[in-house]
Amino acid sequence: MTNTEKLKDLVVDVFLIDPKEFRVDLKREQIETWDSLGVVSLAVGVQETFGQHFTQDEAIGITGIPDVIKVLEARGISFDA
Amino acid sequence: MTATGVVMLIERGPRENMADLERHWASARTFAYVQEKSAAAAPWLSGIQEQIPAPYRENHFCLLTSGSTGAPKLVIGRKHNSEELARVLHRVQDSEPVRETIVSLPLTYCYAFVNQWLWSRVMHRRLVLTSGFAKAEIFREALRRADNAMICLVGPQAALLRNMFGAERFPGVIRLHFAGGRFPQEQLPALREMFPNAAIFNNYGCAEALPRLTLRRAEDGDAASDIGSPLPGVHLKSGPAGELLFRSPYRSVAQLDSHGFRQIAPHEWIPNGDLVRYEGNGRWQLVGRAGEVFKRYGEKIALQQVISTVNRQWSGQIGYYREKDAAGEDGYVLLLSPQPSEENLRGLMRVFRSSHPRTHWPLRIESAAVLPLNSNGKVDSLAAQSMEHRSLLWRQRI
Repeated sequence: MTNTEKLKDLVVDVFLIDPKEFRVDLKREQIETWDSLGVVSLAVGVQETFGQHFTQDEAIGITGIPDVIKVLEARGISFDA
Repeated sequence: MTATGVVMLIERGPRENMADLERHWASARTFAYVQEKSAAAAPWLSGIQEQIPAPYRENHFCLLTSGSTGAPKLVIGRKHNSEELARVLHRVQDSEPVRETIVSLPLTYCYAFVNQWLWSRVMHRRLVLTSGFAKAEIFREALRRADNAMICLVGPQAALLRNMFGAERFPGVIRLHFAGGRFPQEQLPALREMFPNAAIFNNYGCAEALPRLTLRRAEDGDAASDIGSPLPGVHLKSGPAGELLFRSPYRSVAQLDSHGFRQIAPHEWIPNGDLVRYEGNGRWQLVGRAGEVFKRYGEKIALQQVISTVNRQWSGQIGYYREKDAAGEDGYVLLLSPQPSEENLRGLMRVFRSSHPRTHWPLRIESAAVLPLNSNGKVDSLAAQSMEHRSLLWRQRI
């Protein structure tokens, strides 16, 4: 399973979106279930799935999936196909 | 729509419809202020023009709540009474030094509506609108710029404050109010560090009270369950089973739900689903919730209501049992039998997403080949909880 597929599974699970809706450029405004508890769930899920812990500033600054990928790529996790 | 019809105002997010909200409050015509998703979940709302009698179509307002049974219910309040409550709150909460209020909850939530929007309007204070923790950077910036500000949160948000904003201090916040769920008593030391200049209050109430019943300054008690003393004019008593009953000059005057319209008699004692104990000296303690209605992160959940939703999508057996999450918040685990297909499970997820906020979603969805039954044919939750051979289908990560 690629890292993009892992992230897709996580986002689908956390926000209950349909797998077909997932895109790597999804912004929080496009996910109506992106709420405060969802942000916390996403952070926990990233730790479980990728072993990476968001800092407070990172968690606050996440405005969509591209930001999640950016943070993880900065930690050496690749999202190339 | 008739000239005296009830106007429906749909809230789609902070800063949306604010001019409309102001206009509707100033107008004599009654209006209903509801969130888009809530309106969709209560189809009977489309008939409110016919169901609300003429005397209530002027000088009133309506907000949607889940009520003590969990079923959607429109609570109807008198504008004048709620404005009076805002003045009372201003006095008893010592709010004169407050220059602005920072909103982090939906204004359709009657706690934010009365404590913040209406208070700011009546007392001519600034209203600062944010999306709360959903857009935490904007909320944090508002807290950083706070100018003698009041904020109103639900209890579980105290933990989010620490998770999201760490050790940052917000000296411009001078009043910090909590309602909607357990008061975060254990987190008071951290809250006092984060808000060094804030007086902290436990604001207990319910939607039917529109919304306030009691007040306690944080330092006046050492238990989260201590809700303090009734506001001036409010009377509380406990019923035969320990259930809270209240009278208040500020309460809703009528209600509308799927069963129709009901006027509340002037001296009627109103139950709100909580169990209480009188502590003497005018003070009250919360003991728990009656029945299967409980609060999770400040949101009221009626399990039967959630199960009704699941029933629409799932024709197999359904069971559930109560469990707390890692943060100690009440929740529940949904049990299905037999094991649903991937397609069934996705359908169920779609229903949860479209019909319920996240707080109503189960902590986990599990399945088993067969669920144990009581002699009355209902699923035996206790036995189901300790069953082996359960499969985990989905889980929340909080």
